[in-house]
Amino acid sequence: MNGIFVIAKKEFMDNWRNKWIIATSAIFLILTLVTSYFSTGKWSDIGSTIAGMETFVILLIPIISLMLGYATIAGEAERGSLSLILSYPINRKEVIIGKFFGLCLVVATTIFLGFGIAGIVIAIKAGIDAAEYLSFLIASLLLSMSYISISILFSSLLKKRSTALGTAIFIWFLFSMIWGMILFGILVIKYGMDIIMQESWIAPDWYYIAAMINPNQSFEMFVAANVKPLQQLQRIYLPSYCGSFSPLVLILWIIIPLILAIFFFENRDL
Amino acid sequence: MIKSDLKNDLNTIKGYATMIKVKNLRKEYDGIVAVNNISFEVKKGEIFALLGPNGAGKTTTIKAILGLINYDGEIHIDEKDAKNKDVKKFIGYLPETVSFYDNLTALQTLQFFAELKGADKHKCMKLLGEFGLKDSANRKVGEFSKGMKQRLALAQCLLGNPKLLILDEPTSGLDALGAYEIRNKIKEMNEKGVTILLCSHILSEVQELADRVAIMNKGEIIAMDTVKNLGKMLDIQPKLKIEVEKITDSLIGKIKEIVKEVKVDGNLIEVSCSPDLKLQIINEIEKETKIIDFKTIEPTLEEIFIKMVRE
Ligand SMILES: Nc1ncnc2c1ncn2[C@@H]1O[C@H](COP(=O)(O)OP(=O)(O)OP(=O)(O)O)[C@@H](O)[C@H]1O
Ligand SMILES: [Mg+2]
Repeated sequence: MNGIFVIAKKEFMDNWRNKWIIATSAIFLILTLVTSYFSTGKWSDIGSTIAGMETFVILLIPIISLMLGYATIAGEAERGSLSLILSYPINRKEVIIGKFFGLCLVVATTIFLGFGIAGIVIAIKAGIDAAEYLSFLIASLLLSMSYISISILFSSLLKKRSTALGTAIFIWFLFSMIWGMILFGILVIKYGMDIIMQESWIAPDWYYIAAMINPNQSFEMFVAANVKPLQQLQRIYLPSYCGSFSPLVLILWIIIPLILAIFFFENRDL
Repeated sequence: MIKSDLKNDLNTIKGYATMIKVKNLRKEYDGIVAVNNISFEVKKGEIFALLGPNGAGKTTTIKAILGLINYDGEIHIDEKDAKNKDVKKFIGYLPETVSFYDNLTALQTLQFFAELKGADKHKCMKLLGEFGLKDSANRKVGEFSKGMKQRLALAQCLLGNPKLLILDEPTSGLDALGAYEIRNKIKEMNEKGVTILLCSHILSEVQELADRVAIMNKGEIIAMDTVKNLGKMLDIQPKLKIEVEKITDSLIGKIKEIVKEVKVDGNLIEVSCSPDLKLQIINEIEKETKIIDFKTIEPTLEEIFIKMVRE
């Protein structure tokens, strides 16, 4: 237990010292305020703000989380500092869990600092729906935690920091672009462009399920299900199960990679 | 005095407490056999050295003992399975390649490791002082020279009063004075009862420090004993250097009756012989002339090492 705490504290303090936490919080804060005010010239309510900035958040949170986590094992193993840590009375499981909690605390701090301060400003200027905002914060936290978990997984598998960086970039593209493109491609091949583009057309269930496996889309669905303006603005149809299962999918993206990371790290030569 | 007697006994008394027991250790890295089925024991209180050329498998052996790599075989530390994390509480380890966190200061680094070990954090400053890093305590480790990092790594080993030190090339990267200080530190720790396993390819260092040596080559232990016994085993005899007043042909002739090879250089006679012939030679010389000076040179590890690795 002590080991988990010491490692988690070290990860957090590292990112506090190198100003990562402050810088990222500032990005979130500015993004929210700019979206809320400058897009219309007056303060918009929280729902519209979330709707306006969601696409940026989906790009930003994965990048930030992957950058935090990609080198955490591969980089330290390559440098040799992990050998030294593991010569101390701590086992490998505790190292992984400690790093996971430490990095989660880093993103949680940035999300609650950045979006939190912005939320207070918006609440004063335009009023806030606390439930909507809270569900957005929780969704953001779950999304970043799943990417931290994913990055710890491939960081545990890969020998070199450079290949881990390459993998981080690939994973970002995979979930931000490739996944959606492939699914869309399949729809086009199967049904034809004309039919898909009809406004009344509803995609089959397998499409929604396959989309939901992607953590980014899970995040989107979770937010869409809880933030009303988003549904109205984007006029998207969402099967009801997407709303209820999307947080579960995100939680699985947190737990499964972490368990696999522990397994691979246990068997790794340092 | 008492201690050195004790050390001589270490090799003869069977069942003297064991600190590290390695049995049939084998490690293969994708097809390359790094360590091939070696077994040895490190006794409590001794300095045991692994000596061998590059790639012999020394670091691999140490990494296995610390559980940093997967391996076949059994390793016990103080009678417990080495994989048990509790045994690490009393081990200090100096890795071959030292790497810390660049943005932490020396003091923060030591404090982090002290926390991991559950050791007293207040001793960190004192430890930095002992290794000549007091003035650099609040500087970032990223700015440190190689030698300073090595000193910090050595300070880190001593956190929490270890009973066992595992040192992978402890003096690498240090200047002559630094290396001298570290050798003294190792001796000092050993005097206090700390068991030491070290590996090195610096022969003189091993010779100065180690009670026993295992010579490794190509993943195997090719010899293991005290430096003295290794010399005997290979029939590398001590050299006798005798300075005399006058050298005569009859004197040389008489010595040649005892040992075959005699080197003469001015007034200096040099022979290699076993200790029992030593007195005989001296007696012969004293019958003919006066001895001015006299010394015995024990076989060096260098000679032993080269001979063994060649064979
Ligand atoms: N991570 C690794 N992957 C593949 N092979 C390795 C690895 N580590 C060591 N080896 C190989 O195992 C053998 C033994 O290496 P080891 O590092 O134990 O040697 P050493 O005796 O410590 O040498 P040196 O004096 O150079 O430090 C070498 O052939 C080396 O190439
Ligand atoms: Mg080595």
